[in-house]
Amino acid sequence: MKSTDTYNDIKEVNLAYMMLAQNMVRSDRETAVFRLGISEEIADILERLTPGQVLKMAGSEMLLCSFRFEDSLLLDLLANHERDRGVGHIHAAILAAGKPVETVA
Amino acid sequence: MRNKSVISEARDIRLAVELIQLGARLQMLEQETNLSRERLLRLYKEVKGVSPPKGMLPFSTDWFMTWQPNVHASLFMAYYRFLRRHTQLAGLELIIKAYRMYLEKVSRAGMDVVLSLTRAWTMVRFFDASMLQMATCKECGGEFVAHAYDPTRGYVCGLCHMPARAGKTRRAAAEAAAA
Repeated sequence: MKSTDTYNDIKEVNLAYMMLAQNMVRSDRETAVFRLGISEEIADILERLTPGQVLKMAGSEMLLCSFRFEDSLLLDLLANHERDRGVGHIHAAILAAGKPVETVA
Repeated sequence: MRNKSVISEARDIRLAVELIQLGARLQMLEQETNLSRERLLRLYKEVKGVSPPKGMLPFSTDWFMTWQPNVHASLFMAYYRFLRRHTQLAGLELIIKAYRMYLEKVSRAGMDVVLSLTRAWTMVRFFDASMLQMATCKECGGEFVAHAYDPTRGYVCGLCHMPARAGKTRRAAAEAAAA
């Protein structure tokens, strides 16, 4: 794949992610804090971003969202289809709630 | 009339309607609002179309220890503790939000709602009264509802070590036979 393709893909994912995150925070702040795994401080920043700022942020060559589940167990629970699908997801939610959130340093 | 302000009464009525829709029992409504018992009764009938269930609230902490209720109670507490730590929510608002997240999770997972709002509310009071505590599973590191003063070293949760008969109810068998 050419590097311009990758760049465009990253930009597209970034834009979709930023818009989704902003919508989530605006419609249900507390649930968004859990689902995005961010602190309320970051939620505040997200909420206040203008469309122009979102576009500018999305245009960087870095992905803005990072992989949340370094925990191999959490990944296993979400991806493993052997078990009863509902129970695995509930176990994952219990573990995810115990994880620290992303904060601004 | 216990209420002096019409505005605060209106707020109480809105709160009571929300709680009734979520399945709150009358005793919980009496505790959390300033409305009279008669008004709450009429409100309950108007919202639900039936009279509220009679009798005492469940008061035992044992209910939270059997396998299925424990999973559901621990899920609710996971949301509750997360929101308490990371958001400004407190008190009844916090319980309602955590309960709504619990309801959504359970329905998305295609499971029955086992924990009622009144049970969730009672459980939070059990925690406040130090009758329950959270135990950390030594295998997955998750936190689960346990009796206070029970030893928690070497605790293994019901999801890491599922009992052999877990989820194998008569109804599940009937559904499997029908499918």
